[in-house]
Amino acid sequence: MEEMELQLKLALSSNLDEGFDLNDHNEEQEYDRLMKKKRCFDETFEEIKNVQVPRTLPLLDHIDLCEEEDGVVGWPPINSWRKKICHHYHHNSRRGCTTPTNYVTVKNGCGGGSRSNSMYVKVKMEGVGIARKVDLSRHHSYQTLIDTLMAMFANEKVQGYKLAYQDKEGDWLLAGDMPWG
Amino acid sequence: MQVVWLRSSLALRDLQAFIQHTVVYCKMDPKLKKTKNSSSNSANSPDSTHSSFPFPDEVLERVLSFLHSHKDRSSVSLVCKDWYNAERWTRTKLFIGNCYSVSPEIVARRFPRIKSVTLKGKPRFSDFNLVPQHWGADVHSWLVVFAKVYPFLEELRLKRMTLNDESLKFLATSFPGFKALSLLSCEGFSTDGLKAIATHCKNLTELDIQENGMDDLGGGWLSCFSENCSSLEVLNFASLNSEVSFDALEKLVRRCKSLRILKVNKSITLDQLQQLLVLAPQLIELGTGSFQQELTPLQYEGLGIAFSNCKNLQTLSGFWEDTSLHLPVLYAACPSLTFLNLSYATLRSGELAKIVAHSPNIRRLWVLDTVGDKGLEAVGSSCPFLEELRVFPADPFEQDLHHGVTEAGFLAVSHGCRKLHYVLYFCRQMTNAAVATIVQNCPDFTHFRLCIMNPGERDYLTNEPMDEAFGAVVKTCTNLQRLALSGLLTDLTFEYIGKYAKNLEALSVAFAGSSDGGMQCVLQGCPKLRKLEIRDCPFGNAALLSGIEKYETMRSLWMSACNVTMSACKLLAKEMPRLNVEVMRDEGSDESQADKVYIYRTVAGPRRDAPPFVVTL
Repeated sequence: MEEMELQLKLALSSNLDEGFDLNDHNEEQEYDRLMKKKRCFDETFEEIKNVQVPRTLPLLDHIDLCEEEDGVVGWPPINSWRKKICHHYHHNSRRGCTTPTNYVTVKNGCGGGSRSNSMYVKVKMEGVGIARKVDLSRHHSYQTLIDTLMAMFANEKVQGYKLAYQDKEGDWLLAGDMPWG
Repeated sequence: MQVVWLRSSLALRDLQAFIQHTVVYCKMDPKLKKTKNSSSNSANSPDSTHSSFPFPDEVLERVLSFLHSHKDRSSVSLVCKDWYNAERWTRTKLFIGNCYSVSPEIVARRFPRIKSVTLKGKPRFSDFNLVPQHWGADVHSWLVVFAKVYPFLEELRLKRMTLNDESLKFLATSFPGFKALSLLSCEGFSTDGLKAIATHCKNLTELDIQENGMDDLGGGWLSCFSENCSSLEVLNFASLNSEVSFDALEKLVRRCKSLRILKVNKSITLDQLQQLLVLAPQLIELGTGSFQQELTPLQYEGLGIAFSNCKNLQTLSGFWEDTSLHLPVLYAACPSLTFLNLSYATLRSGELAKIVAHSPNIRRLWVLDTVGDKGLEAVGSSCPFLEELRVFPADPFEQDLHHGVTEAGFLAVSHGCRKLHYVLYFCRQMTNAAVATIVQNCPDFTHFRLCIMNPGERDYLTNEPMDEAFGAVVKTCTNLQRLALSGLLTDLTFEYIGKYAKNLEALSVAFAGSSDGGMQCVLQGCPKLRKLEIRDCPFGNAALLSGIEKYETMRSLWMSACNVTMSACKLLAKEMPRLNVEVMRDEGSDESQADKVYIYRTVAGPRRDAPPFVVTL
């Protein structure tokens, strides 16, 4: 596990069964694309298959419908650009970290610099624009990891999802195929 | 023919005094005929062809060419017809604060020699999703006219405008001398449009892309700069996420010896940044890329050295993602900094304290509220020259009171930074007493924007409304130009504003006031008011109509989710033909309600590109 480039992805199992190849997609592009679109559970599969980037759709569209803004539209008065950044922080702080933590993206080695032993990786769920982060060093089996992730994504309907990760060669593998160690 | 007495090195101050004196004199006697000794710099000019003035046209034009402020130029153009003409021939920079207040054709007729255009479009509340999609403010019709009339256009600066890739391509190919493009909060285009700019604008000096609703389709645009391009002075692509070719960027920076502003995006790593800094130690403003990376001790040292070699660095920004690891590399550059933008970095109090301890010359500081009151205390004790502070919320939708900053932080800054005149402060609690003390400490506020994030929040100690806080602000800060209100506010706040805020130009109101009287006080009491934006307030028709005479002196009025009806809007529109009264209705609301009203003065009549959901009355 320590040797691998750690980028996790949750995908609909039906996608994986039908030959949907996570390795096809440029990750950054997909993330950006997902960020821009309003998502619902049913639409997800269709949208992955038909990759169309609407040219004039500004970021505003997605932010409009974000779960965080459950009170008043446009309040507090923060522009869409900054709101996008806020979501990133929001999910980081939800993890209950009150001390400075190194959210170091692990690349080809054990992460965490000299100050911590944490191994944070980004987890993206298909159909959800916002990624979450999880500390792999706190888990000792796939099951606890999956349980934690399901709890994190509790807002979404998580039935039928499978966990996949990208190794250092950039290939996507299903979690559970190889032993945890 | 030049009149001998006019020195070519005329000091601007002398010039302005001269113009003011002459303006005053002319206003005293509008029927001025040929006179001698008409001003302190009287001329012997027997060749004067003016009936009213002792100066020939060329002299007046030469004199006016020193004027740059568009407000001054506006005043000058009102003196008399000759001055109007001289001014229009010498204006090279056009500033249009509301693109619908005038039409491209009118502008083209009046000003023959424009080289630089600044255009602003949508109402400011569009930043907060209060304006529906496809509202307008498309720049294309402007570009078409400019291509005909100003083929030598060099600069275009757009804010809250809509433009698509075709427009960018048109821009890139229609103006051979085009130099500077700045896009802030615009939408509708993609990186393909930027490709066109990079490819065709051979003399580009500035490309500044900020916070736009654009499609980032990849970083290939950067590679479109030709190998001959060496003229760039400003390059800001911080808000684009896609990876650019570092090789292309490195070569570009190497060639462009005049580069003074470079703001890169997240895809640029720290060691790449170090390489760029070594190539461009002359930078005045730097936006870093991603500031988190595993660095070897050698790389870390190299980065520190690179920063210390940037002797001209005044502005630092960027710092995407958590940055606690490597901040010490900056310390060598901090003493010369005047503007530090840390508003994308979730720094804690200790980290901020260390940075500001090294940055005693800071004038402007932007941070996230993760620094807490303790961080702001450090600012108060380390930054005596601070003039501007902006504290943004990291978690604006979280109700938890334990996050962020409170009145204590603001107080601490006001104690230590007596020159503070601009503040934007997001917090969850505030007291009237704290604000009163703050403005006692810092009476020179020109911009006071306080956002207590829960609408209608009271003074948390006394449980009173926040009227006295803003009362203190307007009473004490006589130079106040811009004010944004929040918290529970009654009409009393507006009475204070109307009575004391005599220099107020821009006011932003939300969830405040008790009756029409509030808005009336402001409209009647603030002579310099230009921009008024109101949302979710109990102001109705009487309030709206009380300003009927005033709106032509203002740039615009926005009212949404108030108590205004269509009949009042129709009346206003009928009485004031030089105002555009635009109404947008929310879905499912009553036909008589005017849910969103946007009123602005214009010489161009009702706009022809209004979408179906905008009704111009």
